[in-house]
This record gives sequence, C-alpha cells and structure tokens, in this order.
Amino acid sequence: MKDDAYYHARCSRFLEAQPHMRTLGIGLIRAERGKATLVLPVQPQLISADLDTYLHGGVLTTLVDAASSVSTLCALDAFELCPTLDLRIDHMRSPVQSQPLYVAAECYRVTRSVLFTRASVYQESPDRPVAYAIATFMRPEAGVTDSAFRAMIEGGTDAATA
Amino acid sequence: MQQLLDLVKRAHASGDYQPLVDLIPYARILGVQCDCYGEEIIFRLPANPDNIGNPTIPAIHGGVIASFMELTALFQLTLQLPQPGLAKIIDFSLDYMRAGLDRDTFAICEISRQGRRVGNCSVLAWQERKSKPIAQARAHFLLDTGVST
Repeated sequence: MKDDAYYHARCSRFLEAQPHMRTLGIGLIRAERGKATLVLPVQPQLISADLDTYLHGGVLTTLVDAASSVSTLCALDAFELCPTLDLRIDHMRSPVQSQPLYVAAECYRVTRSVLFTRASVYQESPDRPVAYAIATFMRPEAGVTDSAFRAMIEGGTDAATA
Repeated sequence: MQQLLDLVKRAHASGDYQPLVDLIPYARILGVQCDCYGEEIIFRLPANPDNIGNPTIPAIHGGVIASFMELTALFQLTLQLPQPGLAKIIDFSLDYMRAGLDRDTFAICEISRQGRRVGNCSVLAWQERKSKPIAQARAHFLLDTGVST
C-alpha cells in the first residue's frame, strides 16, 4: 500500500505529462488511495465577456474526464495507462465563470479488466454539486503501457524505492 | 441574446458558421472548425499539439474528444432551432471506441428528436473514415427558445 504523498506525486507527474492539462492549467489538489481532486482555475482564456456569466461548452467535460482518469492512478499499485471506455455526465446547474471548478473523483471498484469511477463537480461547496459523472476504464494488457512513460509517471528510480 | 440571434441569422445567410463557434472560448482554445456541405455541417478538430493527452502514442486527450462532440451537438442544435437560443446541456454519455490519434478529427451530429423543451442528439466522431468511429455520444439539451416558462 502506497501513502498519499506517493499518489500525489504520481498524479502530478501524470497531469504534467499531458499538454492539454497544461493548456488549461488543471491542477491536483488532493490525492489519496482511490481518490483525487482536481481544479480548473479561473482564467481569462475561458471567459466570454459578451455572452453571459456562465462557463460554456465542454471544458467541464474535459476536467471530469481528467479527474476520473487520475483517480484510477490512485487505485492501482503500479501505473497503468487505462483508456476511457465510457463516460456519462449529468449536469445539475450551470457553473459560473467567476469561480474555480473542482472535481472530486473516486475509483470505487477495480477488477482484472475494468475500473469504475464516480465524480462530483462543484464550485463554492461540495454540497452544491454542478454535475455528477460516472466512467469506466479498461486496464491494459500486461506490457502495453509504454515503459518509458511508466518510468516518467512513477518518478524513475525514485519509484523503485518509494 | 440578441447578439446570438443576429449571429445565427448572419451565419445562415452567409453559410459561414465560424463566428458562432468562436463565441465559445473553449471551442476557440480547442480550435474547432465548422464546414458546411449543403445542409450538412461537419465539425472539424484540427490536429493540435495542445490537445494531446497521451504523449506516448501520441493521442488526443479523451476529454478534448468528449468536449468537441458536446460542442458539435450544441452548435448543431443552436443552428437548427427555429428561435435560436443557447441550448443547455442536461446530460452527456460517451463511448470511446478507438484512440484519437494526433490528426484531424471530424464530428457530425444528428438531432434525433427536437421537442418543445428537450433536444435529443447523437454525435459520431471519426478520423480516417466515418465507418471507423473513434467515439459516439448521446446528449440531451434543455432548449431555451427565449419563451419564458
């Protein structure tokens, strides 16, 4: 069993390795066994001054997909790159542009082939969710995850001693 | 809202829907393009190094593909409404079928039903050929037709 700091480091490296996560400045707030929380900070490039005050179109979807995927990293002992099989999002209210968007995701079941996750998206309080999401991920067959990539996410030689 | 109405009207007249797409900040960041072929609109997500999620394959971020498809549905619906208003997403469900490689991605949306309050959409995304989709999605939108309820 790894400790939270280990998962935090692994998830941070995973996010940093993805150009699109850097484009949006998506950050890791918390990581623990089976769970991860990500944030999309308020940023000028996502604000449409002339439309209205809501956060528009799809960026929530990207954040949810990312958080669900990161939560799978917290549920596995060794890093495996698991592609998304299915993602479903229910939108309960419109997120505003003026506040960061948070996603708390949990990988609640791990089987030999499939990982199951659930996530909730919120702004001012986790008690007022903006959206809920569930997703499934396929575990790769042994040896499919690129070894150089794995080493990068696991922190190279540090990972062996962690 | 008036601005949106004008933009939709102008887009219909000119056949150039790009100004409408550019209204949504995230669509601009992704680089979503909109090509009109007769009555059919095909949305295009040009290959873009900033959209990569998996640098080893390299493959487009799954969330980018999902968002691109969600935007496709949103635009298709907005353009099709008799009284255009921004449709609000209720739910979105996506099947990933193949990795989206670092190349142009296309999407087309079919409105399977458009009621008074809800629009049902299905979206297909592909790269080299339509018969080999990389993802398919279903979405429901709440239609804001400007009529107060």
